[in-house]
Amino acid sequence: MSVKYIPVQWNKFKYLYDAVILAGIMGFLWVFVTLTPGILGYDPAINPQILNMRAFGACAFFLMTFILLIGPLARLDARFMPLLYNRRHMGVLTCFVAYSHASFVIGWYFSFSPIDKYVAVLGTNTAYGQLLGFPFESLGIFALLCLTILAATSHDFWLKFLTPRIWKALHYLIYPAYVAVVAHVGLGALQNQQNQTFGILVVLGAGSVVILHLLAARHERTVSDPAAGAGATETWERICAAGDIEEGRAKVARLANGDRVAVFRHDGKLSAIANACAHQNGPLGEGRILDCLVTCPWHGFQYDVTNGRSPAPFTEKVPTYNIRLNDGIVEVDPEANPPGTPVEPLVINAEAGR
Amino acid sequence: MTGAETLVLLIQIWGAIGAVVALGFLTVGLGQIDEDARGAVTFRPLLVPGILVLWPLVLWRWWVLATGRDQWPLRHAPPRRSHRTVALIMAVLIPLTLLTAFSIRQDWPADIAPVQLEEGAPQ
Repeated sequence: MSVKYIPVQWNKFKYLYDAVILAGIMGFLWVFVTLTPGILGYDPAINPQILNMRAFGACAFFLMTFILLIGPLARLDARFMPLLYNRRHMGVLTCFVAYSHASFVIGWYFSFSPIDKYVAVLGTNTAYGQLLGFPFESLGIFALLCLTILAATSHDFWLKFLTPRIWKALHYLIYPAYVAVVAHVGLGALQNQQNQTFGILVVLGAGSVVILHLLAARHERTVSDPAAGAGATETWERICAAGDIEEGRAKVARLANGDRVAVFRHDGKLSAIANACAHQNGPLGEGRILDCLVTCPWHGFQYDVTNGRSPAPFTEKVPTYNIRLNDGIVEVDPEANPPGTPVEPLVINAEAGR
Repeated sequence: MTGAETLVLLIQIWGAIGAVVALGFLTVGLGQIDEDARGAVTFRPLLVPGILVLWPLVLWRWWVLATGRDQWPLRHAPPRRSHRTVALIMAVLIPLTLLTAFSIRQDWPADIAPVQLEEGAPQ
């Protein structure tokens, strides 16, 4: 950001978003704690500590599943984009729910012995060489550590301090954390066969995550960010026909060096900037231009497409690219200009622009 | 000292060093390296958990920014291109994990007689 930091940048939409998440969590826990014991008829009956532990554990699993579904859903269908907007708050709440689960586990299973309860968690079962009876608690501890890192670095300060590249790489920890949680649940709760409902829901949830991520990856390569072709000269790369770019919109392409470029058309002229927003690397090329400013569809950061700079008082900058027309085909120099470098927009002639 | 006790001790030492780094960074370093943090105090306690966990990374970035070694072009090299690899790895690991979990479930009849697998430790 380019204004003074504050603890949380609230707005009306974020209040609504967080209220819905909180209501969802409270509703899930209430249903789990008050209704499921009667329906499932636990035999032998379980005490409130174990019931709370299961409720918070199940809640954390489904929250993580939902969070991991948002990204691919938004990639596949723009109508899910609003869910992305405040996903970080959902992640922080998930971390709190997971800590509640862990505190019930430690408070019930590891607290009534002379051994320190944290030493007991780590040292009671060390049978790492076998699958049956594997110390699945360690998988949960790993996932909790990942969630802690993600939640603790969720403030915008960390994005600027670490750079979006490192921050995003750090937040890729959500994927190993989720695999660890699936294993934690699979080698733990799913070994109990009293009721199959939870097992079915886990398979459906984790299966949806896998399928949607594969579909989103395929969509990105074939539809939204196709590879650029070879240009007329060795170094330049071919994007598309100038006439294929709608007014106020962009075409995105993957360059040979792996970077993504977004070529915008505004007032009959073309400009190219990096597709990655300086905030969280959101896809700028999926945004729309208003008054020469493209708005990132993820969090609303804006950039002038002719120089890659955010309007004052903001100071974010993205790299720009030199472009040219060759027989009506847009070509890009893959060597990006330094962030914020002005590039004269390319006028499309009547023949090429159709 | 057992392995578990050693691990708990190491975590405590890690946290203690993190607390010292947090104190120095939030009172001295933050204002030096980020103009947006100057005069902004209320958000600083929110950074403490992150510094406790990631203090080596914090020290490294503090040094990079304070010595002018930050490379702006690297800020725009997103790791999004790794998503496809991650999706493929998850597509292998998650079904494998669930298959393993279901295959080792002991679904014997409830009335089967218990069998002692090995002798317990002497009391």
